[in-house]
Amino acid sequence: MVMGAEAKRRPAPGAVAPGARPWHGYGLGLRTEHFEAVLEQRPAVDWFEIISENFMVAGGKPRHYLESIRNLYPLAMHGVSLSIGSTDPLDRDYLRSLRQLASEVDPIWISDHLCWTGFGGINSHDLLPLPYTGQAISHVASRIGEVQEFLGREILIENVSSYVNFADAEMDEATFLAEIARRSGCRILLDVNNVYVSSRNHGFDADAYIASLDAEKIWQIHLAGHSDYGDYVIDTHDHPIRDEVWDLYARMLQRLGAVTTMIERDDNIPPLQELLAELEHARQVGDDALARRCTAVA
Amino acid sequence: MIRLESLQGRFIDHLRRKADFPSAWCAQGTVDSETGLAIYANAYTARLREALEADHPCLARYLGDELWSRFCAGYIEQHPSRVRSLRGFGAQVPHWLARNPPFSQHLEVAALAAFERELMDVFDAADAPRMDWSAMQEFEHPDWPHLRFGFHPSTRLLTTETNAVEIWRALKDESDPPPGGASAAPARLLWRDAERISRFRPVQAEELLALRACLLERADFATLCERLAALRAPDQVPALAVELLRQWFDDGIIQAIRTP
Repeated sequence: MVMGAEAKRRPAPGAVAPGARPWHGYGLGLRTEHFEAVLEQRPAVDWFEIISENFMVAGGKPRHYLESIRNLYPLAMHGVSLSIGSTDPLDRDYLRSLRQLASEVDPIWISDHLCWTGFGGINSHDLLPLPYTGQAISHVASRIGEVQEFLGREILIENVSSYVNFADAEMDEATFLAEIARRSGCRILLDVNNVYVSSRNHGFDADAYIASLDAEKIWQIHLAGHSDYGDYVIDTHDHPIRDEVWDLYARMLQRLGAVTTMIERDDNIPPLQELLAELEHARQVGDDALARRCTAVA
Repeated sequence: MIRLESLQGRFIDHLRRKADFPSAWCAQGTVDSETGLAIYANAYTARLREALEADHPCLARYLGDELWSRFCAGYIEQHPSRVRSLRGFGAQVPHWLARNPPFSQHLEVAALAAFERELMDVFDAADAPRMDWSAMQEFEHPDWPHLRFGFHPSTRLLTTETNAVEIWRALKDESDPPPGGASAAPARLLWRDAERISRFRPVQAEELLALRACLLERADFATLCERLAALRAPDQVPALAVELLRQWFDDGIIQAIRTP
């Protein structure tokens, strides 16, 4: 027996099965270096993810390319400045800019990170780790609720790579993430590379982490490269995706079914063709994993 | 339990000043906490330094590695980011360079930084339609004295006492920059053209006077002529005013003609 939507293995982008997560196919992070190539080549990418802050400018080339590419592809908005875990007040000016950009872009969704970026008005411009405590869950879930009310939509929250864990943790990271998603009603953007990086740095089982999350909450996957220094791993986004992350991704899809996926590359950015080839590999890995899933449930 | 505020405050202090973060607050994973904290602290400095280098590539080249490192360390220490986007982190760079030796002893250094920041502002200033010279023909000559002009939002007038722009040009072309000295022109006009290319050109004394009147003070055409009369014979003023105005239309920096 073949199960409903899984029979098609790869549904048409934009399809939403009742009660299930939306499916938008395979996307790429939209980077300045590729603006012209995207417009000229119109590559077979199902959607692009933009860094929201890069387009919170008055005009010029960034806004021109955004508008042109928006006319050709669905876009998701991915932010780095929400600082949802900070004890500083939420930045209302930022939220207004985010809402304004969303009204212009009409994104498939808006996402940011489960972290804090600043304290006392000072911005580290980094995705800093939170302690996995009930105190932090209440703080973050409440702020996500405020943000969602302000934006008038549910957001996606992404797990970050981390290099430090705190001694007063009352639970593991996956439980922390799952509970915040449950309490706030937000969805999860699961960065498979970040799960791998943190699993190496903190010594947890990456498969168990993913298995413990509510599958229906996971609306998007990030794939990216990292740098392996032997004793520790850093999430650098400047390399192709490594085999161990592809393997984790495949096992995850086999368990979860199709999840909207994109590749993030933020440094050492190669020509677009190279990323398109990597995206095609993601499609292949996804198709194979979903085929195995169909066989398993037959 | 450690309060979240305390943890975040100490963590930020560690990033900024390498202040001790209590090891008892960290769990020991595969990576020891000292290494983990160092990864964050190194990334903090590296990220801010990269942002400065992205905004000021010619300044970095002009200063050379040693002075550039001294500048970055000093600026990052004194100006922690209080802005949402790294785009604004370096906003105080020209001011800092003008006040801190040895940079402040070379006036062209701060001026070079100011020029690079003006170019950034030109790049992503608001969009607006532009008018061409034919729009002026719609007004009868008796109306002209009262006309005021709206400039494209990307338009910037930068006073240039030093040869920072000449230095920038040479560095951009990967040539040896001239030694610091006086500017060939008292100002530069910067703007973004209709193809979204950033442009700049020298501005001489008469045009500087005219731009100060029309761009900065929003003065009308009559006032423009009065100002120019300080530099030219009365019979030459109208032709000069029209010539300058026409040049601005041709540059594509006039977005509106305003009547009283």
